[in-house]
Amino acid sequence: MVSAFGIALFGFVLATALATALLRDILAVIIVFAAYSLGMALFYAFLLAPDVAMTEAAIGAGVTTLLLLLTIATTVREEPGIAIERPNLPALVVFGGLLVVMIGTVTQFPALGSRNAPVWSNPEVTQYYLEHSYKDTKVHNAVTAVLAGYRGFDTFGEAVVVFAAGISTLVVLGREVFTRE
Amino acid sequence: MTPAGTGVAPVAFISAELVTDVFLGTATVFILLVVAMFYRVVKGPSTQDRVLAVNVLGTNTVVVLALLAAALGEPSLLDIALVYALLNFLMAVAISKFTVERGGVL
Repeated sequence: MVSAFGIALFGFVLATALATALLRDILAVIIVFAAYSLGMALFYAFLLAPDVAMTEAAIGAGVTTLLLLLTIATTVREEPGIAIERPNLPALVVFGGLLVVMIGTVTQFPALGSRNAPVWSNPEVTQYYLEHSYKDTKVHNAVTAVLAGYRGFDTFGEAVVVFAAGISTLVVLGREVFTRE
Repeated sequence: MTPAGTGVAPVAFISAELVTDVFLGTATVFILLVVAMFYRVVKGPSTQDRVLAVNVLGTNTVVVLALLAAALGEPSLLDIALVYALLNFLMAVAISKFTVERGGVL
């Protein structure tokens, strides 16, 4: 039953990704991209990464759509003559090569929960975090503990970068959008 | 065997695996419904059709997340479902404003 759900979800994400790439109308692409973000958030939740799923929910459902809409509001959206883009042959070749490399990489990954995975080849480090993370940070999820506890300053720095980017976006937009009467 | 004090015999054929399977199966059916709804998103023909369809997809996502939370025993997924339920209307509002007053988003 788990695999049936995964396959159905994979089909949905694949369909949304293809539609995002192939549709011509920019407004339609923005809407389809929101659907893609829904599918990806479901995937993250299904793979038990609730923090990533939460980020995808907040960014994909809200911020991305607004930013893309603001972009086409300040530029020109031309009416497309055709609904579906014809794939570009050289781009398809490059994409096919990239796909082969990616599939080759993914199939070389150690299986889920495999004892030969690199994460187990250094058991002192892994076990240290698994044993101490709750005691040190009082966070149940070990990944979240590492992200927001042990490397908290690093995450804080990332947050500062994102905050600065958001402020500069608002400054640019304030000149373009908010000053309109 | 009756648990002390309840007086109700536990239903033997309902196991934890069966409950998980039923929740995951329901979630799978919902995903198939989402795929069917996605046809309307691609086909259009108008922007309003697409926005409405994606709104339905968002509501479906909330349901699937809640089912996943029950099936996998992960209550934290309910938080994501809540975030989606709260943010789902945002895109519809933004695109509505964009189409009514050309260029206005915020």
